[in-house]
Amino acid sequence: MSTLRMTRRHLLRAGFVAGATLSAGTVLPRPLRAQQPKRGGILRVRGYDPPHFDPHQTLNFKTNNTLSFVYNKLVRHRVGAGVAPGTFAIEPDLADRWEEPDDTTVVFHLRHGVRWQNRPPVNGRELTADDVKFTYDRFLTEKGNPLRFMLDPVDRVEVVDRYTVRFRLKEPFVWLLHMLANPTGTWIVAREVVEKFGDLRRAEAAIGTGAFILERYEPNVKTVFKPNPDYFRQGQPWVEGVDWLVMEDEAAQLAAYRTGQVDCAPWHQWVVRQQDLAELKKSHPHLMYQDFVSNVTTGFYMRTDKPPFNDVRVRRAISHALDRQAIVDAVFLRGEPTPAIGRGLAEWSSRIDQLGAGAQYYRHDPKEARRLLAEAGFPQGLKTQLTVTGGYGNDVLDAFQLAQRQLKEGGIEAELKVQEYGAYMATTFAGKYEGMALGPFSISWEPHTALYGMYTPEQPRNSSHVADAKIMAMLKEQMRTKDIEARRKLIFDIQRYAAEQQYYVYLYSPAFTGSWRPYVKNYAPNPSFDYGNRVAALWLDR
Amino acid sequence: MRKYVLRRLLVAIPSLLIASFIVFSLPRLLPGDVVQLMLEERAYGKDLDDLRAKLGLNRPIFVQYFEWLGNVGQGHLGESLWTKRPVVEELTRRLPVSLKLGSLALLFSVAIALPIGILAAIRQDTLADYLFRSVAIFGLSIPGFWLATLVVVLPAIWWNWSPPIQFTEFSADPWAHVAQFILPAFILGIASSAAIMRLTRATLLEVLRQDYVRTAWAKGSRERSVVLKHGLKNALIPVVTVLGIQIAQILGGTVIFETIFGLPGMGRFLFDAINQRDYPVIQGINLLIVTVIVLMNLLVDACYAFLDPRIRY
Repeated sequence: MSTLRMTRRHLLRAGFVAGATLSAGTVLPRPLRAQQPKRGGILRVRGYDPPHFDPHQTLNFKTNNTLSFVYNKLVRHRVGAGVAPGTFAIEPDLADRWEEPDDTTVVFHLRHGVRWQNRPPVNGRELTADDVKFTYDRFLTEKGNPLRFMLDPVDRVEVVDRYTVRFRLKEPFVWLLHMLANPTGTWIVAREVVEKFGDLRRAEAAIGTGAFILERYEPNVKTVFKPNPDYFRQGQPWVEGVDWLVMEDEAAQLAAYRTGQVDCAPWHQWVVRQQDLAELKKSHPHLMYQDFVSNVTTGFYMRTDKPPFNDVRVRRAISHALDRQAIVDAVFLRGEPTPAIGRGLAEWSSRIDQLGAGAQYYRHDPKEARRLLAEAGFPQGLKTQLTVTGGYGNDVLDAFQLAQRQLKEGGIEAELKVQEYGAYMATTFAGKYEGMALGPFSISWEPHTALYGMYTPEQPRNSSHVADAKIMAMLKEQMRTKDIEARRKLIFDIQRYAAEQQYYVYLYSPAFTGSWRPYVKNYAPNPSFDYGNRVAALWLDR
Repeated sequence: MRKYVLRRLLVAIPSLLIASFIVFSLPRLLPGDVVQLMLEERAYGKDLDDLRAKLGLNRPIFVQYFEWLGNVGQGHLGESLWTKRPVVEELTRRLPVSLKLGSLALLFSVAIALPIGILAAIRQDTLADYLFRSVAIFGLSIPGFWLATLVVVLPAIWWNWSPPIQFTEFSADPWAHVAQFILPAFILGIASSAAIMRLTRATLLEVLRQDYVRTAWAKGSRERSVVLKHGLKNALIPVVTVLGIQIAQILGGTVIFETIFGLPGMGRFLFDAINQRDYPVIQGINLLIVTVIVLMNLLVDACYAFLDPRIRY
């Protein structure tokens, strides 16, 4: 009996150990199993020339990408090889924990001993709650901060003690953490630096608590980052430096990647364009590749406050005229038609067949488009203007031309007006246009930002001039809904309603393939502006 | 000669003044001003007016122009509205890059065009002439940016080699610094050389049919002496004129070539500045380009006088 008991125990123990070993072997991401982090090496990657370095005066991705090496936020999106592209789980950054005593209060407890980079005027002093308050006061009051809407529900930020800050909200706002983790504009900055330079526009003013110190900025050439020896995450960064190279020509970028002059794929988000993928895989099969769908939505926006686009039948006709999959297949080769939330944010983005009554308007049906136009009073079809810019690259312009042709088949003759990028951003994208416009218009790390800015009256991001009480009520409700499943249902309801109304005629989210050299370890692509934290976590094993 | 150059110099001053007003006012006519771009698509309320006043852009354009001109006279071109970096500082860094690229391209252009143009003229209607003319037409027809793209892409695919993507300063590695200009300058020079080659051939053919050249032949002069001493010098006047125009074209071409080959010259700086409506930068670069072109044309005029003394009077 005792022998039997012993045997069973041994068997169970052995089984448990074997099971655990096998599980670890299959569950742990490969890079974590493979080896321990290795220090050294310079990472050479495609970077950008920021128009300037002040995170509170721009939403430009080039500024935010660059600043991600230097600064931290209170909370951040998780990074590392185990992170699946399109997921943006929140984890501590400068705050090591937080609590919500009531619906309109969030208290953050800062890590102790976090130091500013050892450069004047901060000279390595400790980060305190005053810095956090200064940052968000500046964020909320800086003239022209294009991202102010993100924290509209914040009433004030209070210092509780040296390491504690309290956010007081005007109304319940369940997305606050996501807004603070958003890799645009929410970097924590130091008062002395702003006072010394007047603002943060100069490269010399980029002094943060981040993993890297901005050592040198050479406009049009590169930004050189060196490791911050006082960085609070132990061991990080593993690389000895980063060459953030400015490469604007697509052909030259790919040639540089092919020939080993850069370590990660050279297009935006360190991906390879689908058009180049097959050839690259053939000649360079040893490189690492990972597919993902973009969290950016591209589509039509129009003056829904004026005829003829204030008529839902006209907007639905536009949607019916378009063959979204054909555009994806012809231009991007892979990707998906998208609802209001980019398909890359899989957790929150509805599949087209889940859009209920709105799904029917995604069906390519030029006949139905003409019928709807006739019903709306345009039996001979509709003539309008379609403003676009070539500033997003040739692929996007090709897609626009294809969409224009499809509109014509559906009875909508849209005269293409191509604007230079600067003029487009300052006029059309700002809502100053006639007829229709077409372009990429939202990026989603969570669903709130893409919906709130674009459907709220008086918001400058409301390019279609939407004023719909029903959608506003739904938006307000989801902002207050704590239960995640109930909120998800609301977000899906909003996407369904948006599909029915077609205030914005959403087209596609293209697919990309992230690629990197095999010696770049603990890295996974993710469509985020937070390159700095991802680079701090990776190491080179050449 | 000195009087002639001085006279040309005096003519250049009003040209520069007129150009300065054009370079100042034209960028303001572009739709979408810098303030709208700086505040991007999410500008709030009266932020636009406030920022415009802060940057001094709310004053009448003539007031802004004369203030700018006064500062230019003192060597100040202002500072970038975006980065706050002094424009002069940026130009000092970038001008040498563009000048190196432009001068090397011009050098390649002349080095290719003159010998081939001369050979084609003296071997008129031979196989060599047809070949050279075909190559010239080929050079004229191919867009420079396309050729540059091929030069970057094909070696990467075939031999796993591409031009260096990182710009190397002269102080870091003199040879690498010079080497990175050779390929773009060569390609930039090709299109320009095709036009010069055709013109050299045509004008030399015309000159070689002149009476004084026939006299030289009759005197028993050697071919080299007839062609180079009697023919070429006179044939070069229109060629030099075209060279002056080519300088402007080459400077324009640097925008694309600097982008493809990653050279931080004025071309890329100008391209970015136009996109951002960074008026002081656009004005500064354009003024500099205009000045370079005016000076180059002055040099061309001086060359005329050297080649044909009658022009001085």
